[in-house]
Amino acid sequence: MDRRTFLALSASAAAVAAAPAVAQQARRAGGTFISAKTTEAPSLDPILEQALSRQRLDPLFYNRLVEWSHEGKLEPALAESWTTSGDGKTWTFKLRRGVKFHNGRDFSSEDVKFTYERILDPKVGSGGRGYLSAIDHIDTPDAHTVRIVTKQPSASLLAGMAGGWSAIVSREAVEKSDLRRTAVGTGPFILQEWVPQSHLKARRNPDYWDKGKPAVDAIEIKVIPDEANIIAQLRTGNIHHALLEDNKNYLLVKDDKRLRAQRAPRLGFDMVNVNHGRKPYTDVRVRQALSLAVDRAEVLQAAASGLGSVTGPLTPAMRPWALPADAFKEWYTPNVERAKKLLAEAGFPNGFKTTLKVIPTFPTMVAGSQVIAAQLKKIGVDAQIIQEEYGVWIKAIIKPNFDFDLTMNATTGDADPDSLLYRRFHSSEKQWNNDGDPDVDMLLDQGRATLDPAKRKDVYDRVQRLMVDKAIQIWTFAPDMIDVTQSGVQYQQHFTTNYYGFRTVTLEK
Amino acid sequence: MRRYVLLRTLSILPALLGVSVAVFLLVRLIPGTVVDQMVGTEGSYSEESMRALRAFFGLDAPIHVQYARWLGAVLRGDLGTSWRTGLPVVQMIVSRLEVTVELTLVALLVAAAVGVPLGMLSARRENTTLDHVVRLVSLFSLSIPVFWQATMLILAFSLWLQWAPPVDFVSLARDPLRNLAIITLPGVALGTAVAAVFMRMTRSSVLEVMGQDYIRTARAKGLAEQGVLWRHALKNSLIPLITVAGVQMGYLLGGAVITEEVFTLPGVGRLLLWAVFQRDYPLVQGTILFISALFMVSNLVVDLLYAYVDPRIRRG
Repeated sequence: MDRRTFLALSASAAAVAAAPAVAQQARRAGGTFISAKTTEAPSLDPILEQALSRQRLDPLFYNRLVEWSHEGKLEPALAESWTTSGDGKTWTFKLRRGVKFHNGRDFSSEDVKFTYERILDPKVGSGGRGYLSAIDHIDTPDAHTVRIVTKQPSASLLAGMAGGWSAIVSREAVEKSDLRRTAVGTGPFILQEWVPQSHLKARRNPDYWDKGKPAVDAIEIKVIPDEANIIAQLRTGNIHHALLEDNKNYLLVKDDKRLRAQRAPRLGFDMVNVNHGRKPYTDVRVRQALSLAVDRAEVLQAAASGLGSVTGPLTPAMRPWALPADAFKEWYTPNVERAKKLLAEAGFPNGFKTTLKVIPTFPTMVAGSQVIAAQLKKIGVDAQIIQEEYGVWIKAIIKPNFDFDLTMNATTGDADPDSLLYRRFHSSEKQWNNDGDPDVDMLLDQGRATLDPAKRKDVYDRVQRLMVDKAIQIWTFAPDMIDVTQSGVQYQQHFTTNYYGFRTVTLEK
Repeated sequence: MRRYVLLRTLSILPALLGVSVAVFLLVRLIPGTVVDQMVGTEGSYSEESMRALRAFFGLDAPIHVQYARWLGAVLRGDLGTSWRTGLPVVQMIVSRLEVTVELTLVALLVAAAVGVPLGMLSARRENTTLDHVVRLVSLFSLSIPVFWQATMLILAFSLWLQWAPPVDFVSLARDPLRNLAIITLPGVALGTAVAAVFMRMTRSSVLEVMGQDYIRTARAKGLAEQGVLWRHALKNSLIPLITVAGVQMGYLLGGAVITEEVFTLPGVGRLLLWAVFQRDYPLVQGTILFISALFMVSNLVVDLLYAYVDPRIRRG
């Protein structure tokens, strides 16, 4: 038994004696919903902060023009409806009326223009620029209409508008306050108090446009750095909900009658980035050999107790785009002999030495790296694991430094294939692997401009196969998204975004 | 005496200035900046955006200009704004101060309550089995790192007493009992090593004093051994102990960083660790400057106390 398991188990024994405060509260409507998490949003800024922990908080305070539904469809939110012109380049959005910001002002088309132009302004430095880069200019014919003209037809514009950086903010909130520590949106909750590293409190927005939501009066999100402690708090009934960071903890709660653990595929995934700018990874045969050496099921087992799925370039949560892992069996079935042969052809009959970077505070990466290093050894590739603190690691691996041979990495993922792939793999962007392949480029450009869903699906099927064939990087697995709640809590997972399902949660039986 | 107090107080200023330079440079030696963290591996990368963000935080200016700007603000009493959270650094520190001060004081109390009596006992029974055992234990507690001990304590308490570290910190004023339940274990974890230092110091100091002429005189007067020990020996043995307590404040404040992290106490130490990980320079600088000032002031108090206890110093 490791320390976490052990702590959680022993704490839960204490829980039986303690009065389950939350369980009593759960019987009435409204109430305060309490969640806990291990990681802190470093800042609340919806446009400047990349952290997933920030993105998950956004839907509490903000809306987007269109938003992902629970089923993975793009639904009207601040935009009620939209039309596109014949050439596919002009989008006209009719905005919802009677929507108010938390400061009491009416939401209007000017806010949309201000928000998007701010995201697109390179001088602001938003990491979400790539999501909206198709936009050429924005007009506001009246307060309730927005017309967006794109440079070329864009199949991912709506997805970009629903993406992690596209929450609509008000101009005066940006100019007069600091959105790093406040939140002024149109969302279902109003921020009351944020004490970094401790808690965040928000109350129900009585003027929320989506009548009847949210069902709870208030929410509180506590920061508890140790997940074993979070499990203990769930068992003692002190909190209602937690979204697990370490999937191993699922095994501790799955049979607990007082709790309900829900599993769904996650958009995000783990991977090994390969530096195409460094020898010997310039040679496709070397990359293919690595791909053949890695047993992804074993990595998934070690890193996430098997709670997830082996994935290709698009994860299973990205319905309907993802090809099943079976589609890649030529490269996904471990084959040491063939890998060695490829290495020999590339001029490395005896293998070679390389390094594999890993961030020690990411448990799935650490566990994964050890398994992968052992697997690579079987084909003679001696990968030395290098641990680097998160900030040091980022500085080393990001463009234009690309200071790594191989590195473990994990991403939040994206619901749309263009949003996910283009800025990471197109040679004009090459964000992760210092790569660039003309065939991949061509398909990515094509996918971006193909509006017909069936044709678009065909393009991305080809992209996925091509990227795995050329071993652009080593995709490993997508861990499941696991939400644990008190059994009396009605909670719906939002797997299409990996956000919290707090807008619809109810504490009633 | 007044002159001594004044000079001693003024001597803090150059030391703080030195700390300010050191922390300013050291935090910038760690690879990676707040800008890299904000864009990370998820955001769209563009050189222009990176430049804009660097300019926003003033990172584009030469380092001496950055330092002058910061120092100028600090001299006007402004520690700046946290780069990540946008909250004033002073506010972030003050809201966590209570935890760290309480933890440090509890640790000091634990150290004194355990270390001093054990030290005296050891001195009284010099070279007996008891003395050897006490010294061995103290050597052991000096040698184990605070993070390991803290983890072991949590483990032991959750195993045998079914006790897990509480999640919500409650202030002493609001609920003293709950507060003590939260702070005692971390206080013990942090105080153990200092208790060992106190024990060794008390032991050697008492042994030294016991050999002095005035102790022999006291005994010759026919004073009971207890009276000799408590009234004459202990009082004089305490002088070096006060100095050690001042120096140990540095260890305690530093150790508080680790202890707060392990026990998840929302104190200044945990704030500092977070600030370093986030490359939030103003927050790191402000926090370290603050902790250093706290350390220096506590040493100042010790020095003044020392002068009060030992007349030779204030006259010298």
